[in-house]
Amino acid sequence: MAEDDSEWVVESIVGYLGSPEWVIPVTDFMENKCTVFDAEDENKLSYTEIHQQYKNLVEKLLENYMQEVGINEQQFLTACTSPYAKSKTLQVVFQPVLATDDFQMFRSLMVRKNMELQLQALRVIKERNGALPECLTDGVDVMTELQQQEMKILEEVLKKSKEEYDEEMSRRVLLEEEVGSTSSGCSDNPMAESSKQLISSSASSQEISTVKVNGKSIISEQRKTAAPEGGDGKSAAKIGSSAKPDCGSKTVESRVLPAVRAPVKCDEPHASSSPQTKTQSSSNQTAETWLEEAHREAGFSKPFTELSASQQEQLQQRAAYLRQQRDKLHALKREQQKNKQATTTEEPPTSPTPAPTTTPAISAEERKKLQKRKHLADKLKEEVIKK
Amino acid sequence: MGEAQKGLLSVIEKLKGTTEQEVRIVLLGLDNAGKTTLLKSLASEDVNTITPTQGFNIKSVASHGMKLNVWDIGGQRKIRPFWKKYLENTDLLIYVIDSADKKRFEETGLELSELIDEENLKGVPVLIFANKQDLATASPASEIAEGLNLHTYRDREWQIQACSAVSGEGVQDGMNWICNNIVNKKK
Repeated sequence: MAEDDSEWVVESIVGYLGSPEWVIPVTDFMENKCTVFDAEDENKLSYTEIHQQYKNLVEKLLENYMQEVGINEQQFLTACTSPYAKSKTLQVVFQPVLATDDFQMFRSLMVRKNMELQLQALRVIKERNGALPECLTDGVDVMTELQQQEMKILEEVLKKSKEEYDEEMSRRVLLEEEVGSTSSGCSDNPMAESSKQLISSSASSQEISTVKVNGKSIISEQRKTAAPEGGDGKSAAKIGSSAKPDCGSKTVESRVLPAVRAPVKCDEPHASSSPQTKTQSSSNQTAETWLEEAHREAGFSKPFTELSASQQEQLQQRAAYLRQQRDKLHALKREQQKNKQATTTEEPPTSPTPAPTTTPAISAEERKKLQKRKHLADKLKEEVIKK
Repeated sequence: MGEAQKGLLSVIEKLKGTTEQEVRIVLLGLDNAGKTTLLKSLASEDVNTITPTQGFNIKSVASHGMKLNVWDIGGQRKIRPFWKKYLENTDLLIYVIDSADKKRFEETGLELSELIDEENLKGVPVLIFANKQDLATASPASEIAEGLNLHTYRDREWQIQACSAVSGEGVQDGMNWICNNIVNKKK
């Protein structure tokens, strides 16, 4: 009797789990929420929230159904733990239910769903365009290589910038101690003199901000003079990029940072990045000393509190600046890669790949997404082939 | 949230076909205490490439005929408010302390005492790992126990275990305590 009973209950539940009343809301939920589920080892905090929502949904659906049909919890339990329900085929059917209690299972369901959607999207693209756009098929190796290169450059830039920044900070502290006690002998540097004039002329306020502004003008002037010393075709690029760590370390800066310009062209960005940082760091140093002198001549002693306040501001600016720079780098790299592809692959593009000139700076995030998608697609392909 | 599962969900909980006893363990502690390193060392995985946890990690470890599901949740200050979402149905709390980070002993003590007061952790045994004993500046476990006033815990089993998640020293001793304790408790 009990046997029959449980069999009936199981069959009824299995029937429900295959019916649209169950399938539609559950699939809807999964499709809507699966996009954040990736194959990374670490779980995002948002997964827990989604799992909780899923639990609520399943509970509600099952409860409604059981009420409708007249199954109580005890029946449900005995039915589902009966040997009949334990068969392999039924266990698969029960998976979405069991996933309420098993986060890992839930997670793998969601990850799989996400992959399915990605694969579907790929298929749709293929159908619509006849072939996958280049950016979604080959070139994976090139991309990862490029990315590695990018990372190297970024790391380099960040390191340099940090070094200079630290140096600058320590010098600042030193300066803090010196100012007030010693009035240094000024050099016969014309730049310093010009800055002195500037200081005296700007009678607007006796605040440090004037020094800051002056300091900045010195540095930008210095940059102009330093650039031709590079003496080669890349000098233009040097100016553009030397502006970057400069700003980062030029902590006196309190105004809007100068517009950044990505290097116009650099075939080996890694190689060109080191000389440029070298010249830039030296220019930065001289500018620094001038600034120091200008500072002494002006006879300002900076209140420490204000310094730390401006430091914070500078840090923010620095961060914003670096971000900007990174985006620029990304955009540049993309363009380069596009050009490369355009030259290497002679075949006429069957897919409407956007012309390289019409796609300006694709944001870093989009790029990342694209990369991830590609990776996923590869994985899927692999899996499909294996099957 | 916040209360134990009721109704249908608790029924579903019983549906899982495993014969093994499953144990839910939550691994908490301040950032940089070594939670993920400990987790990976428990799972016999590489501990050299660990980055600060932004979310959470789960590993299932078989030990003493039980399946230990260990949840390691990031310890950064901004993540700590999420801890309490993971405490439901927890069988055991592992709390990890960086024994060399004396400056934050007070902070870690406060966090622990807040956890102890959580309703979901009522009576739940606590194992405290005094981690990073491989560092010369590490405080001995006894000193940390005193600082945390562990001797005042009367409502639960507790244990403090000196360890180094990097070298693995002491970790197994802690796991043995866990298994003995849970076997005793669940029977």
